[in-house]
Amino acid sequence: MLEVENLVKQYGELTAVEDVSFAAGAGTVFGLLGPNGAGKSTTIHCISGLLKPTAGRVAVAGFDVVAEPRQARQALGVVPQELALYEDLPAIENLRYWGKAYGLNGAGLDDRVREVLTHIGLGDRAKDLPKTFSGGMKRRLNFGCGIVHKPRLILLDEPTVGVDPQSRERLFDMVLQERDQGACVIYTTHYMEEAEKLCDSLGIIDHGKLIAQGTVDELRAELGARDVLQLSGRFPDAETAQAVASLIDDGLDDLEVLAAEDDSMTLALSAGSQHLPRIFAAISEAGGAVTETSLKSASLETLFLTLTGKELRQ
Amino acid sequence: MRFALSTLVKDLARWRQDKSAILMWIGVPLLVGGLVTSLVDGDGGGQPSGLLLIADQDASFISGLVVGTYSQGELGEMITVEKVSPADGRARIDAGEASGFLLIPEGFGEALLDSKPITLELKTNPSQTILPGIIAEVTEVLLDAGFYANRMFGEEIALIEESASADVAPDSAIVAAIAVSFNERVQSAAPLLFPPAIDLTIAEPPPETPGVSVALLFMPGIILMAVMFAASSLAEDYWAEREAGTLRRLVFAPSRLPAFVAGKALAATALITALAVIVLFIGFAYHGVSWGRLPLSIAWIALSGLALYAWFGVMHLFLPSRRSASLVSSMVTFPLLMVGGSFFPLAALPDWIASIGRLTPNGFMADRLTTEVTSASAVTAVTGSATSIDALSWLVLAVMAGAGLLLNLWRLNAGFARA
Repeated sequence: MLEVENLVKQYGELTAVEDVSFAAGAGTVFGLLGPNGAGKSTTIHCISGLLKPTAGRVAVAGFDVVAEPRQARQALGVVPQELALYEDLPAIENLRYWGKAYGLNGAGLDDRVREVLTHIGLGDRAKDLPKTFSGGMKRRLNFGCGIVHKPRLILLDEPTVGVDPQSRERLFDMVLQERDQGACVIYTTHYMEEAEKLCDSLGIIDHGKLIAQGTVDELRAELGARDVLQLSGRFPDAETAQAVASLIDDGLDDLEVLAAEDDSMTLALSAGSQHLPRIFAAISEAGGAVTETSLKSASLETLFLTLTGKELRQ
Repeated sequence: MRFALSTLVKDLARWRQDKSAILMWIGVPLLVGGLVTSLVDGDGGGQPSGLLLIADQDASFISGLVVGTYSQGELGEMITVEKVSPADGRARIDAGEASGFLLIPEGFGEALLDSKPITLELKTNPSQTILPGIIAEVTEVLLDAGFYANRMFGEEIALIEESASADVAPDSAIVAAIAVSFNERVQSAAPLLFPPAIDLTIAEPPPETPGVSVALLFMPGIILMAVMFAASSLAEDYWAEREAGTLRRLVFAPSRLPAFVAGKALAATALITALAVIVLFIGFAYHGVSWGRLPLSIAWIALSGLALYAWFGVMHLFLPSRRSASLVSSMVTFPLLMVGGSFFPLAALPDWIASIGRLTPNGFMADRLTTEVTSASAVTAVTGSATSIDALSWLVLAVMAGAGLLLNLWRLNAGFARA
């Protein structure tokens, strides 16, 4: 349903997206995971046709978004990150208007609008103005406007930003329902738990590059079920990191120093809690001191840390 | 086309929510037109009225004549006379409760008949400007009239005064004698009065053909002012759509921008036409303009509104922020209103300014509308020339509107909608 091949987007000297390739099929949710500024939205904008790629190819339902934009857009539904509603137009009229923008009319439009209103849980508020809605209700209507024409590919750009937990759960249900009805959903987020919960496959993007992709299980396997140990304190010279790394020769075979600074150090290793005393001792002998410790069990979040050396929400 | 109609319906529904804006658009021309009409066509705001307090200590026939004079004819419509005691009169004029206080002293009638000097006391209210002056003038004229009447009919007046003082009906012989005496004196003065020594001929100005109400000359400019305000607000809706994110959502839809621009233009035209219908209907009814001229006037304003909307749209779409767009829009609007005949009719402006004004978009529109709502001959009589709404005028407006809308579309495609 969606093919992205060697996508590049440059703004002058700045490369926002660099050689990104991935594909997603019908009836799946593909998550695009990365911190703020990683290049997720730029990728989404290239797919939606809002931005013209500098190089590479994007095809939606087999149609090139640059060469055949009309056909590609007809197959595409976009739920933008910011609300895009007419606050002074009743909810039902918002849906009708966006349905008409995609060529729906007559009884087909009326039926679909009723269906979407039920789907997003606003059937009893259909004639109310969105300016009287809560934030979560507006988000749901925003979602409804993006899917009213039954798109085969749905782009959701961080749809849960600023949404209360109840509305977030409702939004998840709506996304999964669309997927079950055969749509392909591209979902960008920087919330790891959302990605784990919703996505059948994932792409991890950082600094404009796709640094890992696969199903959640495949990515976990890639991590090798290692824990991530984050240490704060005083690690004065390179000798401290070398002293910790030397433990690899001392039986901690899968230990890896992911990042080392004067005041912090991030390590990946199996069964981390069992080896804490040896690690602390090595640091102490090298002249360092640990003041705070955080041990994270193997997860997508630790995978992200392993791959990028930083927290997802940084 | 179908999506253009959807956009038209959508925008009309949205504007219906903004009742205050619509009321402002309709209210501005009605308010300004009403003020102008009351200034140039009104009756000057009505007649002054005041209170004159009179203390008549003489209570004679002659002093009664003086008091009665203030209540006669047009003077009586302005001045209400109230008889008071001297003390009450002084107190009330000091308190500012009247326009003037006149004290007629005892012996006034006899002194007048005997041609002896006597003093009347007139005190006026300094906080008032017009009526005290009138009262003072009238009093002086009355005294002068009394002096000359005494010179001509002194004996007869004395006889009447005597009869009035006796409080009995005068003898028939005395009445006859007075009548004969009056007649003789008038007869002797007749050679001096008839025919008059000065022959006054009043030259009537030729009737103004055809008559044009000055307020009617203001009407087109005022309507164009309202249309410009409305067009500017309607064009600013591009910014509202962009800030709401709906413009960007529209970019995701397949090739809808041309229909979107057309739909918004149709909605703007519909609203401006509704405004034109209301204001023109009231203007036509008030000024008695032939109803046959109404359809063409409405159509002219509708197309003018579309053209102005399109160019205000260009202004809004090409400027970098909503604030700068609003500012520039205002900076352009007010000089155009000034020169284009909205504050003063083009006919009332100096020739060189009027020539420039007719080249401005609103001046071009107002000039032709003026000809339509009055008549070509009426405008020619006032301005020396008249420009009618001819085929070329329609073409100019159509080209102006079309070019503006194409620029709107180009700018939306070029990035405004994507930002």
